[in-house]
Amino acid sequence: MARIGVFVCWCGSNIAGTVDVEKVREEAAKIPGVVSALDYKYMCSDPGQNSLRNIIKEKNLTGIVLAACSPHMHENTFRKAAAKEGLNPYFVEIANIREQVSWVHENKERATAKAVDLMKMMVEKVKRDKPIEDVRVPLNKKALVIGGGIAGIQAALDIANGGVEVILVEKEPSIGGKMIQLDETFPTLDCSSCIMTPKMVEANQHPNIKLYTYSEVEDISGYIGNFKIRIKKKARSVIEKDCTGCGECWNACPMHKNIKSEFNVNLSERTAIYVPFPQAVPLVPVLDRSVCLHFKKGGKCQKCYDACGPKCINFDLQDEIIEETVGAIVASTGYDLMDTSMYGEYGYGKYKDVVSGLQFERLLSASGPTEGVIKRPSDGKTPQTIVFVQCVGSRDPEKGVPYCSKVCCMYTAKHAKLFAHKVHGSQSYVFYIDIRSTSKGYEEFVRSTMEQDGAIYLRGRVSKIYEDDGKLIVKGADTLSGNQVEIAADMVVLATGVIPKQGSDKLAQMLGISYDKYGFFTESHPKLRPAESSTAGIFLAGMAQGPRDIPESVVSGSAAASKILGLFSKNEYEVEGTIANVNESTCVACFYCQRVCAYNAISKKEIKDRSGKLIKVVANVNPGLCTGCGACVNACFSKSIDVKGFMDDQIYAEIKALAI
Amino acid sequence: MANTKTDEKLQKIAKDLLESGEVSLIIGYTKGSNSQRMRPLFVTRTEDADKLSFSPNAVQDLAVFLKKAEVKKFGKIGIVVKGCDEKAVNALIQEYQISRDNIKIIGVECNGVIRQNIADKGETNVSESTVYDKCLICEEHIPVLYDFLVESEEPKLVLSGKVKPYSEIARLESMSSEEKNAFWANEFDKCIKCYACRQACPLCYCSRCIVEKNTPQWIDTNSEETGNAQWNLIRAYHLSGRCIGCGECERACPVNIPLMLINEKMAIDVYNMFGYKSGLDINAKPVFGVFSENDFNDFIK
Repeated sequence: MARIGVFVCWCGSNIAGTVDVEKVREEAAKIPGVVSALDYKYMCSDPGQNSLRNIIKEKNLTGIVLAACSPHMHENTFRKAAAKEGLNPYFVEIANIREQVSWVHENKERATAKAVDLMKMMVEKVKRDKPIEDVRVPLNKKALVIGGGIAGIQAALDIANGGVEVILVEKEPSIGGKMIQLDETFPTLDCSSCIMTPKMVEANQHPNIKLYTYSEVEDISGYIGNFKIRIKKKARSVIEKDCTGCGECWNACPMHKNIKSEFNVNLSERTAIYVPFPQAVPLVPVLDRSVCLHFKKGGKCQKCYDACGPKCINFDLQDEIIEETVGAIVASTGYDLMDTSMYGEYGYGKYKDVVSGLQFERLLSASGPTEGVIKRPSDGKTPQTIVFVQCVGSRDPEKGVPYCSKVCCMYTAKHAKLFAHKVHGSQSYVFYIDIRSTSKGYEEFVRSTMEQDGAIYLRGRVSKIYEDDGKLIVKGADTLSGNQVEIAADMVVLATGVIPKQGSDKLAQMLGISYDKYGFFTESHPKLRPAESSTAGIFLAGMAQGPRDIPESVVSGSAAASKILGLFSKNEYEVEGTIANVNESTCVACFYCQRVCAYNAISKKEIKDRSGKLIKVVANVNPGLCTGCGACVNACFSKSIDVKGFMDDQIYAEIKALAI
Repeated sequence: MANTKTDEKLQKIAKDLLESGEVSLIIGYTKGSNSQRMRPLFVTRTEDADKLSFSPNAVQDLAVFLKKAEVKKFGKIGIVVKGCDEKAVNALIQEYQISRDNIKIIGVECNGVIRQNIADKGETNVSESTVYDKCLICEEHIPVLYDFLVESEEPKLVLSGKVKPYSEIARLESMSSEEKNAFWANEFDKCIKCYACRQACPLCYCSRCIVEKNTPQWIDTNSEETGNAQWNLIRAYHLSGRCIGCGECERACPVNIPLMLINEKMAIDVYNMFGYKSGLDINAKPVFGVFSENDFNDFIK
């Protein structure tokens, strides 16, 4: 016999202001099976919880209903309180009379009637609750980090320093990501490679980190605690363990013309066998087979092989497939820059001296194509006047993206500053929409670019750039003075907008995590769960989530790492027991459930008799993957799947409670 | 009646299949108790293969038997199918109810089958006024998938366009919601809950139908207004995007509910909205089992 307790919460005046809580309590007391009904100012408070626990004890309750706020807020609180009195925590049901009643209605009488209905439904539901045990999933205490930029490296180092093994996979021949391409960094002007290379080296040498560069994650299956990973390690054509990184091979390579250096953003050339930059980690070259003479001309050229002392060049090396099992994943795939050639009026791609922000970084960098001397690409002359254009692609819903790329205001100020430092007597102009410089030391940094380094900031957009007599004529508006301006510049730098890394949507689909309409990975909760993806066990870091600067990327890498270390501090992971449950006797194995399952949680199970003869095939739910979303329940024609805690007879009883 | 060339071809194929042991059962048609009727035949012995036959009176969709445990236990099965029926075989393969490896499809080219009520009156001509509506819109006179094909000796079906198949659909579409409700209330009022529609349907293969679920009892089993509407509409929804249009439910209905109006309307809607037709490709994902970001969702208001 059911012995139900109903607890009606006032939530101060939040509920009691609009709902007659006493009336709800009185109505509850009339329902058969309800042995106790109480209303109280704050059920979630300590005295509230204590009275709940006392009544469970006194009246020997078999189930409780809280007419209170959303289960999102306090379901857990009350489940824990009930569990302390020995009640299965799933015998707690919440009738949400705050978010769904008092906050959305004004008429007290009708709001009260609705609150009574919701309470009645939950009483009928709780009567039919069955004990549910949480599912425990064992954890493989090993982590995978996808993407070896600053966020990924930070995550990998923090996890590894916590004593957990990490696999760090990087698509490019070297880790370092975009940050290693930068020159000095705002607002402190420390050189990027000076602060980054120690971290790269540490990641490479860390006993807990296994580094796979020039590798891609090809397939991921499984679930939190038990992800099966397949990594493709692309053939480098160089035996890594023997290579000393001496450079004889790339010095010998005859292909030193017409292959653009990706690292220098097409501002220099590289050889067919190459390291992207001198501090690459690992310092092992990659042979680019798409341009190598050996592969293009039937094996005739082997100059690199001849030059190699330890004979570690092997043209026959094949792609390798590596399989690993990990318990958690960090997705930190970073970003790309928008292709600005679609802004025809800016002439990017048409005029050599119109460059992107990242190209300008390379021109500033001591390890760049000009060894840190600013020379314009067309004729190698040092520019005296540079126009910087902000928001190229960003904040432009028409042609680009509507969001702000966040880092451009700051790096443009840095560019103008470094230009002034390197070319004395030079002049820079910055076209901007707004200046966004909100972090520590940022506003002061921009100010000093204007005031000490003499950059002229013009609020407005550039309408056209064209070449005239060796100069780039920049036409734009200065909206503050209301004048049209025309500047004859030697160079133009476009602050190109940030977009997600190409292919990140494919990766998200493989991981089963959600992403926004631009392709940035979305957080489980934008404010309160910023490091978690929508899928348990998969965490996010860096620019793959959206535009952010280096300190924020580092923080997010550390956040993901701390989440993983927290997860791995236990031996098992507990999943809520409200998951799908198959009635094997009526399942006809059409597997529509499997087709609609977004979490790959349903597989085929063979039922055999004692002699091993197959009797039937049925659907089988993997408790580690199932989130209890209920899509399978809807898809099942024969109604052979239920979600525990939301069983058919419970839903039916709830509906019937409304009809009485 | 003597064997036609079609019959001989069928019998030869069946004999070979049984003799070689490639199948242990062949489901086909044989001549019925009178000349206007064909009936299903289950052949397990080579000598019985001579009884196989086919004619424009072979109205039944034999794929319905594939869902039965008594049939399944034979393992490898051969089946004689018209183009429409063959789509049911495909749908069953798509829904994992049978394996392509376990079935030999003996496809018969069909130029239309004569409506049984007319055939019973002695009609023997295949023409647009004598065949079922499904034959008038048929695009699979030759089955889309087969292991053996028996070509037809019948003349091709000539369509003048005078007979409009499923013309009631257009009439129903032009009605107001109230009129439609009244129309169907009137039709469902006749339902006696005999479930012949379900039994005749090759795709109603659940071992426990939703109407038989009684904890809770979602559908009233009494033959009354609510339960009748629930039953017929839920069955229609369960078949939307799945029904291959063989029309067996309507043919089986003892009280003549025009069930194909719902099924065909559903099929048209599914095609218009999702570009999917059931039973055309064993490798296609059933429309209910796929989600695409491009799916229309203007019904979410």
